[in-house]
Amino acid sequence: MLQNRIFKRFAKNKTSLAGLLLVCFFALVALLAPLLAPADNARNPYQMPQSSYAIEPQTPSSSHWFGTTEQQYDLFYGVVWGTRLAFKIGITVTFFAFLIGLFVGAAAAYFGGKTDEIIMRLTDVVFAVPSLVLAMVIAAMLGPDIKNMMIALTAVAWPSYARLVRGDILSVKQRDFVTAARALGARGPRIMLRHILPNSIYPSVVVASLDIGYIVLTAASLSFLGLGAQPGTADWGQLIAMARNWVLGTSGNTLAYWHTVFIPGGAIFFFVLGWNLLGDAFRDILDPRQG
Amino acid sequence: MNPIEIKNVCKTYVRKRFLSFGKQDQTPVLQDVSLTLKDNQVLGLVGESGCGKTTLSKIILGLEKASSGHVIVDGKDVGSLSKAGFKKIRRFMQVVFQDPYSSLDPRMTVSQILSEPLDIHGLYKDKQTRRKVLEELVKSVGLSAEHLTRYPHEFSGGQRQRIAIARALALDPKILIADEPVSALDVSVQAQILNLLKEIKQKRRLSMLFVSHDFAVARFLCDEVAVMYKGRILEYAPSEELFSNPQHPYTEALFSAVPVPDPAHQKKRQALTLSSRPGMEGHPCPFAPRCAYACAACQTPPLLKEVRPGHFCACAALPFKTKKSSFAV
Repeated sequence: MLQNRIFKRFAKNKTSLAGLLLVCFFALVALLAPLLAPADNARNPYQMPQSSYAIEPQTPSSSHWFGTTEQQYDLFYGVVWGTRLAFKIGITVTFFAFLIGLFVGAAAAYFGGKTDEIIMRLTDVVFAVPSLVLAMVIAAMLGPDIKNMMIALTAVAWPSYARLVRGDILSVKQRDFVTAARALGARGPRIMLRHILPNSIYPSVVVASLDIGYIVLTAASLSFLGLGAQPGTADWGQLIAMARNWVLGTSGNTLAYWHTVFIPGGAIFFFVLGWNLLGDAFRDILDPRQG
Repeated sequence: MNPIEIKNVCKTYVRKRFLSFGKQDQTPVLQDVSLTLKDNQVLGLVGESGCGKTTLSKIILGLEKASSGHVIVDGKDVGSLSKAGFKKIRRFMQVVFQDPYSSLDPRMTVSQILSEPLDIHGLYKDKQTRRKVLEELVKSVGLSAEHLTRYPHEFSGGQRQRIAIARALALDPKILIADEPVSALDVSVQAQILNLLKEIKQKRRLSMLFVSHDFAVARFLCDEVAVMYKGRILEYAPSEELFSNPQHPYTEALFSAVPVPDPAHQKKRQALTLSSRPGMEGHPCPFAPRCAYACAACQTPPLLKEVRPGHFCACAALPFKTKKSSFAV
């Protein structure tokens, strides 16, 4: 049944097919990174190799397919391993944010009363601060490091899941099929796991798939601001940060160093686009009421 | 032994107000309700919205707790049973809800929906027997075996209600509680479902509590009918007796509002309007503020009295009431 629905949906809608292809392409690049761009330093492959310490970026050539950025870091290597890092950040952060949000939201909906009130006001507090600013504060407090950046992003992302899960559980709890299950003699855990969660979790799954792109985008912003990956790390945000001085090109030729911005920027753009298109498709596939 | 006996059940919803320091809002929903469902009979529970019909059926099902009084199912007082004991009672008594669009889990196939009661009670675990049981179940409600793999959204309202009935029958109960099972359906489909319920009742020797706000439907199916108003039983009689000879002013007014299918007859009828009469708020009879007959004689609390054999009515003014006309449907 599900396979059928997935197939139908992708056959019908070409944009979601494009999303799927984009994400698959990036996933393939991430998986094959060690083959596409063999690491010099096997212990830390996310450290980009430098061919020299010259400041001026080099345009694409046969030795550097995507050219080099400031200080001769190889852009091809950076983009390939950056893809792997983007998946790592996006999936880890979304996974933990989803998990925390699920538990917190389910607890709020299940216990109700004061517990609910306290938990939901706490999420309101997190919501009240712009998420990028809050992530910046947390990341700055913990120190610039990829792990700390992921913690900061998780801390900012979980409340939207908590709110979504809570609301959905509260509305599903009122439906007659839950009462019917109780009348059949089903106990709390069975009702929660078989009826309430399956009917309330999917909106969050859809949000999660849309979030992966958004998280990677925010992570790139933090790296760009120097609060995430350190210079030399194969991280898309970091690559753009290193292009900062070259954005305007030379006098008379604005696009002289176009590759330093467009290549990592394009990677981020297509990655986020792919997940957004795929998220839309997920919504239709996960809802059996859709064709 | 009567399948269900309800004795003096009261239910009051208590809501604590925010920052009220112990003050509470008390809403009485059921007041001193006593009813008996007899073996292989259909007891109709009729009344306007919010009169407590559904609350009463939820209390019987153990989904709500009565504030006081006893519900006795199959000779056992439900309030005194342990959890495990109550689970056994649940096999004995099942429910069909009003809205078939919300009573079936949209993420389960029909076969999963029908398997659930069997899983919960650990019945027919063998795969082949299970399959056979499910197939018989869907056939008994007029669907076919191929429907088992489908999802609820692939069915019409009437078919969904058939699935809900099949789920209720899966445990082979002796009592079926039907909470307005046809009021969400089209009239043509209503008739099919009513016929199905009637057939099932006869085939399986079920006793049924049938909650409805539709007198025509209640008359078709019920052996006895109780009329509820504001959480009280106002009148309670065998079906034909009630419909041919309504005693309570409220029942009379309700009947006058039900159209009859004969236009010549319908033209001659006149609906009784229930005008609100100010100054009756503190009256012991809950219906007094809307009653055309409220008088000095009915200043005592109305109790259910047997006015004719088997026919109970709670109206203190009854002996003094002059019948305006016959509104029998």
